[in-house]
Amino acid sequence: MDREKKLREKARELLESKEVDLVIGYGWTRYGKRVAPVFITRPEDVDRLIWNPMCVNNLTLYITRKYPDVKAMGRPAVVVKGCDAKTVNVLIQEGQLKREDVVLLGIPCEGVVYRQELYDGEVTKENVSPKCVVCDVKNPPLYDHLIGEKVEEGSGFEGARNIYQEIEELDKKPEGERWAFWMEHFERCIRCYACRQICPLCYCERCIAEKNMPQWIDTSAHGRGNVAWNLKRAMDLAGRCVFCGECERACPVNIPLNLINQKLSMVVEESFNHRPGYESEGHPPLIVYSLEDREDFIR
Amino acid sequence: MIIKRNDLKRLVEDLIGQGKRVIAPIMRMGLVEYGEIGSFDDITWDYINPRNSFKEFLFPQTEAIARYRIGKKDVELEGVIPELRETIVLGSRPCDAASTASLRSVFTWGAEEDPSRFRDDFYLMREGVTTVMTIACLKGDEDCFCTTVGLTPESPEGSDILLKETVRGNFAVTPVTERGKAFVEEWRDYITDEREDLKEIEYPEVLEGIDTGKIGARLSDVDVFDDPVWQEVARKCIGCGACTFSCPTCHCFDIVDEATGYEGERRKNWDACQFEYFTLHASGHNPRDTQFKRWRNRFLCKFHIYPTKFTSTGCVGCGRCIRVCPVALDIREVMEWLSR
Amino acid sequence: MEEKGWEPRIVAFVCNWCTYAGADLAGTSRLEYRPEVRIIKLPCTGRIDPLFIIKAFEKGADGVLVSGCHPGDCHYTSGNYHARRRWIVFRELLKFAGIDLRRVHFSWVSASEALKWRDLINEVIETVRSAGPFEAYRRLNP
Repeated sequence: MDREKKLREKARELLESKEVDLVIGYGWTRYGKRVAPVFITRPEDVDRLIWNPMCVNNLTLYITRKYPDVKAMGRPAVVVKGCDAKTVNVLIQEGQLKREDVVLLGIPCEGVVYRQELYDGEVTKENVSPKCVVCDVKNPPLYDHLIGEKVEEGSGFEGARNIYQEIEELDKKPEGERWAFWMEHFERCIRCYACRQICPLCYCERCIAEKNMPQWIDTSAHGRGNVAWNLKRAMDLAGRCVFCGECERACPVNIPLNLINQKLSMVVEESFNHRPGYESEGHPPLIVYSLEDREDFIR
Repeated sequence: MIIKRNDLKRLVEDLIGQGKRVIAPIMRMGLVEYGEIGSFDDITWDYINPRNSFKEFLFPQTEAIARYRIGKKDVELEGVIPELRETIVLGSRPCDAASTASLRSVFTWGAEEDPSRFRDDFYLMREGVTTVMTIACLKGDEDCFCTTVGLTPESPEGSDILLKETVRGNFAVTPVTERGKAFVEEWRDYITDEREDLKEIEYPEVLEGIDTGKIGARLSDVDVFDDPVWQEVARKCIGCGACTFSCPTCHCFDIVDEATGYEGERRKNWDACQFEYFTLHASGHNPRDTQFKRWRNRFLCKFHIYPTKFTSTGCVGCGRCIRVCPVALDIREVMEWLSR
Repeated sequence: MEEKGWEPRIVAFVCNWCTYAGADLAGTSRLEYRPEVRIIKLPCTGRIDPLFIIKAFEKGADGVLVSGCHPGDCHYTSGNYHARRRWIVFRELLKFAGIDLRRVHFSWVSASEALKWRDLINEVIETVRSAGPFEAYRRLNP
């Protein structure tokens, strides 16, 4: 593929010129037919880099402070789709990263699959990731090198499940039904914390779930602990989540985390006119305030 | 011996009618999982291997083991005896069934030879009321590798009863253990002595270049422990517990107290060696301070610690850790590296 | 199931400088109000983490009240503004999760508003009472 070739060329160039020490991209695994993050350090290995609709992971995860050993490898270049590039904006905004610390290889993307195992040679309205259905960043808003030509913005997945519609429908239901809906999901949570671990914006040095003096969130995977965990995580991502969709993809028990995170994104946009990830200036909306914030619910 | 599908249905409905807990593969939220069924029709038959293993019915993800109340003068302590219900696991796979031996090894470690050693009664009591009825797999998927670790899609290890599908859609019954024999005897009326041709069983390919014996031997070598390749293979690992919580042989747990002011309970919860705080000492020192060390530990546990300490197997080749990994970390790649 | 003689349990998280002083004034002024409220004093509404509310429900509260200084009056200049933002979002989250918002209340009560405090508490208790015992949350206990 054209983009794949250009990506390899660019990676080789960057590694050969020592502009970067490391290229974080996608590559095939040895068995089966899966795509996984790969870390390329030598120009002769760049042919391991690939690009196709199974490249779902948000690789900016590896340039957060969660990965000191990746950091120790030197200056990285990271392959980013539009949605992933938005994460970089938030990381810069939150002081986690300096723009010059990373080289972004932006790839115009026409949609990836929801889960790799659903892919059958084509992205369809059945297997497309929900984030791609409402995507407005097919061309990364932030990059150093664009790999290949830009593509036309706008979704092409008519008839695919639309997350905002689903949220609206859930909103219309009576409270009791919403509660039952979420409890059915949260009760299945196995507390593997894959949602937190895969999230590039969950970079706290010590997660509240691991603070045990006192124990704020019960570690037991019972309803009480699971509800506290999932609500708290949603709350902490409010105004920051860029909808890369990784938490829901990583969830081994299919909890629809996109719904809850995007609901809060909608609330934040409505209330504070903020959409995370489109710029690196300013502050995340929940650490600042405005005198004009609404208070119709406060007595 | 054959049990006709209809008779299996009668059998299951009777078991449920007697108040027994029947665990079988069911469809939930787009996933096949082992779960308690309310009727035979809840069972999903189209599955390779459920998302979870059935270990959670022998070793629950969370359970209370003691309760306490702090009074004015003293503390009242009360042990918890698990509520036991006779349980039948129907439709287990041979890999999962084999893993019960792996769990038992840990929970009764050394107690066979030395009765004074600790036996985990919570596990043993539950295992004692559980009958495992395995259905041999007709085929695996691309992540199944039981044949590479010495099992097969029709291995009887760990099953009480092994069922194999016949071409007519019925099941050939082979009792494996005493418990299985007694069960078959009890339900003999539903089982006929006919013979039927079995459906063909397609074995997953034995992966060339993987030799578990060699892996075990190499892992004893300190140089291998310190090989920088570990860092490379596990670099992408995100440190979640998806693999360990899906794994049928992973057995680590943590003990926590959950309390309100003056009363509370002590709970035993699954824990995972992949978590950063799993090995954090009270001093602040963490011997497994980076993720690759944690991942290496998991691998060592399966292919070095188990073979050295126990006769049971640490990895049954169910492939769950491969299917569930958000970054496609494939344990087979590392097995292959260490077989070289 | 509504127990016989059930009275709602309310946890009120209040700031040290305004609402707590207001509640104190209600007490010293011998204003009578309903006793079903448990007051927890914190330095500022900005200190109140959403987990406090979740924790209150976990421990058996039927309703929660968060109260602090009026806008412009925060002892720490802006704690209540930050809190206000947080509650805008958290309220919506609770609602989306299916929690009846009759159980969650927010107010500004100053050190001199003893009467407002009295009326507020009575009103909050009535509202929570109309929502009934929070059995749904208690069922999450193992």
